[in-house]
Amino acid sequence: MAIPLVYIFLRALGAHPEDWQRLLQTRIWRLMGNTLALTTVVTCGTLVVGVGMAWLTERTDLPGRKAWRWMLALPLAIPPYIGAILHLTLLRPRGGIIPQWLEGTFGFSVPIPSPVGFGSAAFILIAFMFPYVYLLSGAAFRSQHARLNEAARSLGRTPWQIFWQVTLPALRPSLLAGALLVALDVLAEYGTVALLRYETFSSAIFAQLYGRYDRSAASILSGVLVSLATLFLWAEIKFQGQARFTQMEGNWHPAPPTPLGGWRLPALLIVAMMVSISLFIPLIVLVTWSIQAVFDPQTLAQVFRTGSQGFANFIWNSLWTSALAALLAVTLSLPVAWLSTRYPSHLTRFLARLCQVGYAIPGVVIALSLVLLFNRYISFLYATPLLIVIAYVLRHMPQAVRASESAIGQLSASLEEASRTLGRTSLQTLFQVTLPLIAPGLLAGGALVFLTSLKELPATLLLRPAGFDTLAVRVWIWASDGFYIQAAPAALLLVLVSALPLSFLLRREQMFR
Amino acid sequence: MKTLEVQNLTKRFAPSAHPVVNQVCFALEKGEILALVGPSGCGKTTTLRLIAGLERPDSGFIAINGRVVASETVFIPPEKRGIGFVFQDHALFPHLTVFENVAFGLQGRKREEIQSTVFDMLRLVGLDSLARRYPHALSGGESQRVALARALAPRPVLVLMDEPFSSLDADMRLEMREQVRNILKTTRSTVVFVTHDQEEALFMGDRLAVFQNGQIEQIGAPEEIFHNPATRFVAQFMGGSDFLGGMACPQGIETEISLLPQTHSLPNAAPVEVAVRADDIDFIPDETGNAVIIARFFRGAFNVYRLQLASGQILHAFKEHTCLLPVGTRVRARVSAGHPLTIFHKTDR
Repeated sequence: MAIPLVYIFLRALGAHPEDWQRLLQTRIWRLMGNTLALTTVVTCGTLVVGVGMAWLTERTDLPGRKAWRWMLALPLAIPPYIGAILHLTLLRPRGGIIPQWLEGTFGFSVPIPSPVGFGSAAFILIAFMFPYVYLLSGAAFRSQHARLNEAARSLGRTPWQIFWQVTLPALRPSLLAGALLVALDVLAEYGTVALLRYETFSSAIFAQLYGRYDRSAASILSGVLVSLATLFLWAEIKFQGQARFTQMEGNWHPAPPTPLGGWRLPALLIVAMMVSISLFIPLIVLVTWSIQAVFDPQTLAQVFRTGSQGFANFIWNSLWTSALAALLAVTLSLPVAWLSTRYPSHLTRFLARLCQVGYAIPGVVIALSLVLLFNRYISFLYATPLLIVIAYVLRHMPQAVRASESAIGQLSASLEEASRTLGRTSLQTLFQVTLPLIAPGLLAGGALVFLTSLKELPATLLLRPAGFDTLAVRVWIWASDGFYIQAAPAALLLVLVSALPLSFLLRREQMFR
Repeated sequence: MKTLEVQNLTKRFAPSAHPVVNQVCFALEKGEILALVGPSGCGKTTTLRLIAGLERPDSGFIAINGRVVASETVFIPPEKRGIGFVFQDHALFPHLTVFENVAFGLQGRKREEIQSTVFDMLRLVGLDSLARRYPHALSGGESQRVALARALAPRPVLVLMDEPFSSLDADMRLEMREQVRNILKTTRSTVVFVTHDQEEALFMGDRLAVFQNGQIEQIGAPEEIFHNPATRFVAQFMGGSDFLGGMACPQGIETEISLLPQTHSLPNAAPVEVAVRADDIDFIPDETGNAVIIARFFRGAFNVYRLQLASGQILHAFKEHTCLLPVGTRVRARVSAGHPLTIFHKTDR
């Protein structure tokens, strides 16, 4: 885990001082400003939307809460860059569907706000990233003991005071975790910002690598980006402290819902609007275009070409790389998780922390370091699909480690000891007791890695051998060439394939039982 | 030959730390139940886990049925020690049925043999009707008995039990205690039983070993430990003694409330402490008495009174449940024990 990270820093520090000089004078500060602005706005936006939605579906008598919960979580299956593609096709000034429709209706072109730039990027990212915060804060709302509210009321607090003094502070760990997840994702996001022409570190590094092929500048920018991400990670650990307020005791029961009264309709409208933006509209558009594509022989021929450029091939490539990455990540996470939960010490906890570093390395940076490393030292693997798998494993290792840790943590050590005292060796115990019992948890970790690998774009684009296309790559290439309708079936398929592991993961959560 | 022999057993969790088990020695005859009792953190559970092979000792040796299973040079893993372990949380495998749990230790035997052994065991603990259930569908007492059946099924040389009743409700605990002791005696099992509850230890053990700070303070039959505590700690832990200050004199032991016969030969004017329990003290209301009632605790079948003597010394006394006296009543207290009391020579602690 550490090698790519350290290597990037070494390359960044070892870069030519003139390059540093040049970048410091020209680009770094503007990129820093851009990146920080977007990260801040998106993080705050997702917090507001996520917590708001979670409160409405968990703590009020909003009608249809169960269905809304699913609809608010499912946008996680839609990668933000697909959202950005749809956004552009709907709103771009020339040829966009909405401007055209407006022109057709009113007979003249109606000026609409520019669909690119900061505002649009923030809007799209918030719309497709808020479910992280929604899920975490929803779980926290749910786990909060009703007695807490009752205790606060008996101590003379009004419901409003309770929300600010009891409910929200207890939510803090989940909010911090959600904010970190979103912030790191924004730092790593490439597709959306590139499409909407808002330059951040990720897209700048990508451009350096893809177009100009300036590895030195890319290394410097990567070094700065990773420092930024590490700073976020460090800040979260620092603020989080040891505080983990979980209170799922045996006699837990949920707090009674707050009656919305006259606010019921506005609340319903807000939730419906949010779900429309991030789930219904994208799905409807994708489905419509996919149908159009199927009925248009020329596009159909383009989409369903056979051979290595065939549709089945993209699906297969997507599936096997992601599945292999999931398998590897879970397998590799097991010993680390085992050590840190069963033999907690400074060393093992450090190891587990180290595995969290993957969060802090955006896809473009992983790609860069792998390109540099493998090109120089392990060249026989260079330009093979395996490189993509390695990138997925590195990037998504934290998810696997977390899932394995929680699976092993829930397994009482006495079960393994019982097996030993009943005559099983440690190896037999592993296969007959431990693995069967932690299998569901491991499967969940694997599903998460699979899901995120499926959606991954920048590292795949940079590392793929020529002609090796996955669904995500194909969607991206077709869309950036302007063949939106052609891209639709692949995008729809990507979303549907992602929805499978996602719904499996959601079903495991208390919120969706 | 002893079924279990433990000598100079020592274990530290960190190289520089105080040992959690410190030079512990004891031995067990076949069919005997030894209760290890002491406050939490005294090393009794670690001792049990060392015997089971779940921890490695730093020094000392353990022999089961004459075979050394742990010493400086030998370490036999738990699966080869021929022990049965009953865990505090029962540790039933949640993915296996009751039948499969009990059969888990019987691998490698013939099918019919497994079948009959498991049902023998389940009948013994009275659960043969639940064989197809999964552990999550069992009550606390039932899962306790399944855990016992599972540990006994392979006919272990030695059964180790780590606070097996602590996860049960209080009334269930009393019932299970009796049942489990009967089962262990029926199967003539040799048992090491860990508990922090002195009453449970007195009930379960043929002998008791009282632990403190990783060492055995006293080992012996329950009655012996209760009547003749070897140390001040044992007197306090087993039955909650108060310590009445006194002075040795030619007539006996002079205390604030009574003159007691001297049992030890002590030098004249030697300061001593006498261990007295609430059943050793009696009092009557008396305007000119030597003590004042400062609290009364109603226990249902009896009352416990807390008395304060002029010197500030606190004593406890039992009274029948009908004897109700208000706090502040002046009384005359006396030692009413019909048996010799334990006297400790007071050193400058």
